[in-house]
Amino acid sequence: MSYKNQRVADVADLLKERLSSLDDKKQILRAVELKALFAELPNMPADERASFGKDINKLKQELENYINVSADSRVLVDQIDVTAPFDINSPVQMRPRLLSAEHGSSHPLMSELKKVVDIFGRMGFVHMDSRQIDDEYHMFDSLNFPSGHPARDDYDTFLTTDGFVAPAHVSVMQNRLQKKYAVNLNEGKPIAVVYTGRTFRNEDVDARHEHTFYQVEISYIDKDINTSNLVATFKTFLEEYYQQDLDIRIQPFYFPFTEPSFEMALSCPFCKKKGCHVCSQSGWIELLGCGMINPNVMKMGGIDTDNFTGFAGGLGLDRLVMMKYGIEDVRHFESGKLDFLRQFS
Amino acid sequence: MKVSIQTINYINQHYGCSKQINNVDDIIKKIGSQLGEVEGVEDWGHYYEGIVVARVVSCQKHPNADKLHVCLIDDGGATKDVARDKDGYVEVVCGAPNVKEGMTVAWLPPGVTVPSTISKDPFVLGSREIRGVVSNGMLASPAELNISNNHDGILEIDEDEVGKELKKPGTAFKKLYGLDDVVIDIENKMFTHRPDCFGILGVARELAGIQNLKFVSPKWYTKGENVSTGNSLPIEVKVEDKSLVPRFIAVSMSDIQVMPSPIWLQSFLTRVGIKPINNIVDLTNYYMQLTGQPLHAYDYDKVAKLSGSKPTLIARQATKGDKVALLNGKTIEFETPTILISTDKQAIGVGGIMGGSETEVDEGTKNIILECGNFDMYNIRRTSMKYGLFTDAVTRFTKGQSIYQNDRVLKKIVADISVDYGGKVASEIFDIRPELPSQSKVKLNSDFVNKRLGSNLSSQDMKELLENVEFAVMNKGDDLIIDPPFWRTDIEIPEDVVEEIGRLYGYDRIKPVLPKRDTSPSMLDDMLEVKTAIRDIVSASGANEVLTYSFVHGDLLAKVGQDSEMAFKLSNAISPDLQYYRLSLLPSLLDKIHGNTKAGHSEFAIFEINKSFCKDLLDDEGLPVEEERVAFVFTADDKVALEKYAGAPYYQAQRYLVHLLDGLGISAVFEPATKYTPKLNVSKAAFAPFEPKRAAIIKDSEGEFIGELGEFSAGVKRNLKLPEFTAGFELDISQLLKLSNSNNYVPLSRFPSSEQDISLQVDKNVSYEIVFNVVMEQLLIASEEHGYRFKLTPVDIYCPEKTSNKNVTLRVKLTHNDRTLVTEEVNSLMNQIAEFSNKKIDANRL
Repeated sequence: MSYKNQRVADVADLLKERLSSLDDKKQILRAVELKALFAELPNMPADERASFGKDINKLKQELENYINVSADSRVLVDQIDVTAPFDINSPVQMRPRLLSAEHGSSHPLMSELKKVVDIFGRMGFVHMDSRQIDDEYHMFDSLNFPSGHPARDDYDTFLTTDGFVAPAHVSVMQNRLQKKYAVNLNEGKPIAVVYTGRTFRNEDVDARHEHTFYQVEISYIDKDINTSNLVATFKTFLEEYYQQDLDIRIQPFYFPFTEPSFEMALSCPFCKKKGCHVCSQSGWIELLGCGMINPNVMKMGGIDTDNFTGFAGGLGLDRLVMMKYGIEDVRHFESGKLDFLRQFS
Repeated sequence: MKVSIQTINYINQHYGCSKQINNVDDIIKKIGSQLGEVEGVEDWGHYYEGIVVARVVSCQKHPNADKLHVCLIDDGGATKDVARDKDGYVEVVCGAPNVKEGMTVAWLPPGVTVPSTISKDPFVLGSREIRGVVSNGMLASPAELNISNNHDGILEIDEDEVGKELKKPGTAFKKLYGLDDVVIDIENKMFTHRPDCFGILGVARELAGIQNLKFVSPKWYTKGENVSTGNSLPIEVKVEDKSLVPRFIAVSMSDIQVMPSPIWLQSFLTRVGIKPINNIVDLTNYYMQLTGQPLHAYDYDKVAKLSGSKPTLIARQATKGDKVALLNGKTIEFETPTILISTDKQAIGVGGIMGGSETEVDEGTKNIILECGNFDMYNIRRTSMKYGLFTDAVTRFTKGQSIYQNDRVLKKIVADISVDYGGKVASEIFDIRPELPSQSKVKLNSDFVNKRLGSNLSSQDMKELLENVEFAVMNKGDDLIIDPPFWRTDIEIPEDVVEEIGRLYGYDRIKPVLPKRDTSPSMLDDMLEVKTAIRDIVSASGANEVLTYSFVHGDLLAKVGQDSEMAFKLSNAISPDLQYYRLSLLPSLLDKIHGNTKAGHSEFAIFEINKSFCKDLLDDEGLPVEEERVAFVFTADDKVALEKYAGAPYYQAQRYLVHLLDGLGISAVFEPATKYTPKLNVSKAAFAPFEPKRAAIIKDSEGEFIGELGEFSAGVKRNLKLPEFTAGFELDISQLLKLSNSNNYVPLSRFPSSEQDISLQVDKNVSYEIVFNVVMEQLLIASEEHGYRFKLTPVDIYCPEKTSNKNVTLRVKLTHNDRTLVTEEVNSLMNQIAEFSNKKIDANRL
């Protein structure tokens, strides 16, 4: 809980500490310190009063929440036999049972994630799960973003007070996977990894923007890997995913961690390039960011860049699923609404 | 980056690549595939469709209005379907103060839309009566024509600017001033590492390159103009912090006549999104647009007034109390390490970001100081972010402008001001800079490039591609030595050259080929597999998988009694809902119940597979441990609970838990949570929502901790508005992964099995598990001895009213591998069990 007024914040700390020693937690609401805060209110300058009043009410609400939670110790609750499979005296037809399978559903993002990982799996990629809390090194430094570089601004990252980072891309795994699988290269095998996970951007949420979303990315490193391999690999994946032949278009782009970098578009699989609402009548869908892994990134991952090259690229899972089902609002995904979830199997 | 195609064509007409862009659609396609994303295309020529050049033949006072004039205009008969008098002239009412006979103007005939209204609320002109006189369309001001903000009077078309031919009545207006333009907006992000492409010159060069044409930059840019110096307006120029201001050039000029810029320049700036101010300021903006190099002009006399004995410019770090009144009207107090431009007495501008209003060039300005600096991109970015100052100069400086171009751009603008506006150089050109390092050459061979592109280009092919964009290239056999031009600060390593060659050649010309690999299968990710198994089992039993945010509001933590001190706190979230990384998953699920219940879902089960975080747990690298969890909640509203379920909701959640664990091949035991005192903060947080008297700690048969199961405390239910019949569990998936065992198959027997129930009466306080285990123990002993196989399942648990007894009925299903069991044998086993139970737990067989 954060308070704008230091006075209130101090009292909040004090009272919360006292709360643990009280037998009757409700007494905390009668604390003199709290009353004193309320008493100060009428004498405050008008411009400070509103914010101060808000803070006091917030504090009172917070304390009430605590009281509600701890009040149970005084409410008489029947002990149950937790080792039993059902309650005493329950008729057979009213005992616990599973709901009908037809109500059940997997989250569409998770089903799709598995599907995508499976395709890459069949193409020879091993899976790694990406992190949800990480450090600046993996988010930026190891990916060739110099400290303080303006390119870092494009990522709107969440930071914690301890200096950790909520990853804005699953590329935070690149350095890790290179170190983990470097041994493959010595054995004459490629490094081929698909890594997936939740990523975050500190931005306002609307029908098309979420601060929380999922990404799928791959890295492929071996001798003589080139841009033509990159294009072919993603083309193969997309054709397998959409179960049809597709055209691929690449457009130069800039990422600090790849050189050269591209954005990749595919011919719209929903209208076969004729133009539809999914592709905004253009016949093309921009889906992937990719490129040849920057040698600086590979060096930090311990890869011998004289002998090995590689590519990496990724896509947003939410967008893939939204296009597939025609989902109109990205906020549905994390809404927990059954009306949404039960439309998927 | 907004790029004017007219300007590119102008460049190509005079130097550049000698090819005009005629088909804009084609070039947009080409840019898309070889340069970057085109975010927008604005067809300015279209705005001026139908507008014609006309001459005011006569201009009379309006009979019924003081401020209006009635004009007859001659449009050379260019416009169809308009009322004309016998001489073929058209009547137009005009309210502009500057309208007069003989003037050449832009006439908007009826049916034409006023250009300035097109993007807002399009106003289509007609023929209408104004105070009794019919006006056919209108004569337009520069503002109405979207040329500048000038709305003081109508635009006067000046022969000096457009020439005799275009001034003729009837000329399509868009042919004037370069108005027949298309402005394309190329995504800035693409140019993050391309400072040169923040100038139209750079983009023009790039367009030539991708069309396989040789581009030649203007001489003033490559060689530099010759400018003579003067001494009539002495200045003092100093740089205090040379690391943050690597180069700083300034010169004074006298005899300046400040006036509005020519129409073509005003219109150009408007088209690329810059407000025209006056000829001097506009020219600095023009050269910034052209080269990417920002410039600034100061009023010399204003600087002199704010200086000591001699007009002085000092580039230095801000010190305490340094305030600058900025051009945007704000006054900001700056702190170090912001670079300020200052006189010897006070700060007058923010270096590389924005000038100050106290020294701005205005109509009264006679003498100026021009500045052309280079500022550290990181420092510019910090300052810009810190004070919220986002300007065109910031956009360019944060890309790292070339330090080699300042003198060239400054000299060119000085030359232009001398030629166009009669200004005289009035001081020496102060150029404060380090010894300019020579740019490093990059060596590589064609094989290196082809290996990375998958192409088959010769070193000669590569040389030509690079020379088109003015790289100096030497090739010998397969080897190439590449000397990038001074504006390309981004070419450092051989891979940068690979990118350059690939882009100029065109990636769409490279044939896709899959990488070769051996046929060894890729390893499965066990964690992903077990999560999938969990998902399949739980969703197949009628539950819905949800995903909820990894971040929670502090209120939610408080509502379930978790200590926010243990949670990682976000320091910069825009949304107030995102304050902490969550400590466990269940609170997020509980938070989703009320909404769904309100939406009419009377009974449901939801679950989530995700991660939780606690400050307690850091790994070897010092990073927070990400705990893999699955959480589940079952809820039913009071009506459904009463109709369908007898007893505590705890058992409903337990039913799901057992189903899940069965599916994973894990058998669990449930320990009452009343005596549970979690040691770690992470366990405390996970257990916080539960009511200890109606919750269990889940362990496997070996005593390994798996998770918590139970109902929630009254406070949690109240705070989150949960139905009474709500219970759930949260499990540690890494434990499930460790314990899961898919093989518990037992071969089938050929002989029939025999079933019998046994009811045992015990004291109410003896738990079901104790009774069950006692029976189990006997069955195990007997099986060992006689070779039985058995299954033991509960039938009933009954507490007769007003007694302190509990009757537990269990069903024993016995099978033998080698023979059919006879009743006597089963009876005798039952007796044995009863006897043993009596001895062990004082149970009476009923």
